[in-house]
Amino acid sequence: MATTVTEIRPDEAGLRQARRARVLAEMEAADVDVLVLGREANARYVSGAPRLWTAGSKAFGPGCVLVRETGAVHLLSTWDEGVPEDIPHEHLYGISFNSTTFLEVLKGIDGAATARRVATDGLSHGAARMLPASFPEAEVVDGEALMQRARRIKTPQEVDAIRASVRVAEASLAAAAGALAARVTERQLTAVFMETMAREGVTTPSTQDVAWISSLSHPWHRSSRDRPAAEGDLVVFEAGILLDGYAGDVGRTRAVGAPSAAAQALAARCDELWAALWEACRPGAPAADLLAVYDKAGLPAPPVPVARGLGLGYDLPLVSAELPDTAADQTLEPGMVLALTAHVWEEGVGAVHGQEPVVLTDSGPELLSAQPFRGQPLG
Amino acid sequence: MSASAILAAPSRDRMRADRLARLHAGMEQHGIDALVLLGYTNVAYATGAVWPVADAGRAGFELPVAVVVAGDDAPHLFSPLREDEQLRAELPADHLHGPVYLDVDEGVARFASSLAGLVPSGAVLALDQWTHAMRRETSVLFASPPKDAGRVVSDAKLLKTPDEVAFMREGLRISEEAITAVQAAIAPGVRQIDLTATFLRRLFEAGADANVLDPIWQVMPARIADGPWTTTGDIAVPLLTTERELREGDVLWSDIGVTYQGLHTDFGRTWIVGREPDARQRAQFERWQEILAAVLDVTRAGATAGDLTAAAIAANGGTKPWMPHFYLGHGLGIDSAEMPFVGSDIGEAFDDQYVLQAGMVLVLEPVVWEDGYAGYRSEEVLLITDDGWVPMTDYPYDPF
Repeated sequence: MATTVTEIRPDEAGLRQARRARVLAEMEAADVDVLVLGREANARYVSGAPRLWTAGSKAFGPGCVLVRETGAVHLLSTWDEGVPEDIPHEHLYGISFNSTTFLEVLKGIDGAATARRVATDGLSHGAARMLPASFPEAEVVDGEALMQRARRIKTPQEVDAIRASVRVAEASLAAAAGALAARVTERQLTAVFMETMAREGVTTPSTQDVAWISSLSHPWHRSSRDRPAAEGDLVVFEAGILLDGYAGDVGRTRAVGAPSAAAQALAARCDELWAALWEACRPGAPAADLLAVYDKAGLPAPPVPVARGLGLGYDLPLVSAELPDTAADQTLEPGMVLALTAHVWEEGVGAVHGQEPVVLTDSGPELLSAQPFRGQPLG
Repeated sequence: MSASAILAAPSRDRMRADRLARLHAGMEQHGIDALVLLGYTNVAYATGAVWPVADAGRAGFELPVAVVVAGDDAPHLFSPLREDEQLRAELPADHLHGPVYLDVDEGVARFASSLAGLVPSGAVLALDQWTHAMRRETSVLFASPPKDAGRVVSDAKLLKTPDEVAFMREGLRISEEAITAVQAAIAPGVRQIDLTATFLRRLFEAGADANVLDPIWQVMPARIADGPWTTTGDIAVPLLTTERELREGDVLWSDIGVTYQGLHTDFGRTWIVGREPDARQRAQFERWQEILAAVLDVTRAGATAGDLTAAAIAANGGTKPWMPHFYLGHGLGIDSAEMPFVGSDIGEAFDDQYVLQAGMVLVLEPVVWEDGYAGYRSEEVLLITDDGWVPMTDYPYDPF
């Protein structure tokens, strides 16, 4: 559980420095002079400064800048609360609604005038116009791939941070699952999850889609969030939180009332599937092995990824049946943290779904959850 | 649009049809055959899809994408979300597609082949934002450099349709139901995060689709110098919520935002913890009311943003009654802050030429600050009409 926090502090210095060193090494390898980041998790990875959480994808804007030669970080923040001491006041620039202001801020950064390669993690029409004015000598290259490479392998301290996040997610999910009963709605279960999360000290969910009453007639159909659960429904809880920016995601399934024999049999199949995924989750193995587990079991892979990286937000690898070539190209490596998903559905019964956060070590996978779903009763 | 335009029974189908008509008109004006939309609020606008929005990191990874084709009376949605039965009932089956992953080269290639099946070859396309993987495959995705789709959506969403206004009013009602529970819970010894817990619990029970802003319950310092350093030298707002316990007499500034039916709400009030406001605090509130009244007095279709800022400054004795890193007011609806911005750092020249129109929804948020004695800030949400404005909510200013 998180310790009591009564003021906003930057991320711990060791964690911050290890992350920034990885990014600088990737900049070196890709011959990037200046990195301009818009995605919040990328900006946090480099700066170590917590900023206001807002939901939803954002259009690209210059939220954080890292200069390779000097290691200087420039940050979009109107105040210094939560900003680490290695980002001085003169490197902070405030909220603005005027794109010319950002153009001038970037132009004024030491090294901007001579930068040859500037990497960004996204691009908008406005930014495409602005960047050549701020960096007159530079070509604009891919900074998202660079950040993905830097973030892919976790430091031990990052793994601890994810484990701490998973604890809060598990406690919050347990509270929501405890509230499950006939006539309760998905929205009401979400409400219990969110309340518990906040009382545990975390006000930032990674998803707000907490509970899903699985359909008896279609594998992935979603009814109204106000539909009351009925006796016998299988309800999937897939929930996550961000603690200090790190995603802790877990997935569990519970039956409303006593689970039927068919539901218990489906849960046993999900356990078998999970055991096979666990076997396939080996360092050095191609990520496509995880998809092959579904094939071998004669099960359709879910339309959501079977595995995706957890970290400061969401990372590689991304293993989805929609992206077979990508899965074949990726290798599972020690230090990766995955949210690994076992999912089975049967007509007339519903879905049983389990998701576990897993860290890959030299000797194999290790669970980051304290109460794994495997073997847990549905009811 | 007149004051009686807030509908009792809004319709999703009519809202979608009105939006598509506007998007199609904008596309025709700019010579665009199809829009490709990645921005989540743009996708929600074009499709009417409602989903509980995730953290930015996850939302970027599970990115819904919309394609709007000229002459087609339904939008295409590429969604990583579970198949929504409501949307299946509203949109043709061949317009609902599986997920695409546009940060990954293979995802872009697959999307490009889907897109080729939706638009004729050589079509002029517009895009709202790029991923680098898309940029690498520009020639595969687009026959010619894509135009700016964001501009088409910005123009379309500026004036709210009657259904949008009605859904917004319901969203505001839902968020204020949760705020009522928060206000009842405020007491010395309660932690800031407890207010968030109460808020989120009631918010989802009351029917909101998502919370979009880590709720702010900021304890204001008496003096600017007692707060964090800022780039402006002014007050630092909003600061993040922690486990800090509230104390009697704390001046609390709140700010929250949620979504309902894809429409955003906004809310802000000043409260005093555990006691009644004192005479000085009441005087601050009276000054705030005077400023608001002066602004409202000139607010109507045809007025400029500069008319509103001038009224606010005059009522405040010649200085700007708002924070320099924000604005006197901003538009609300499809985004949590959108055009028109009133009094922002875009500058006075922009304000002076920006004409308000009926159908805009505006949030006014003047600030009264008395260094040494903190200050007062609240937000007022209103719909601009031909002859003035109508309030979107009647939430009280208690304890003032």
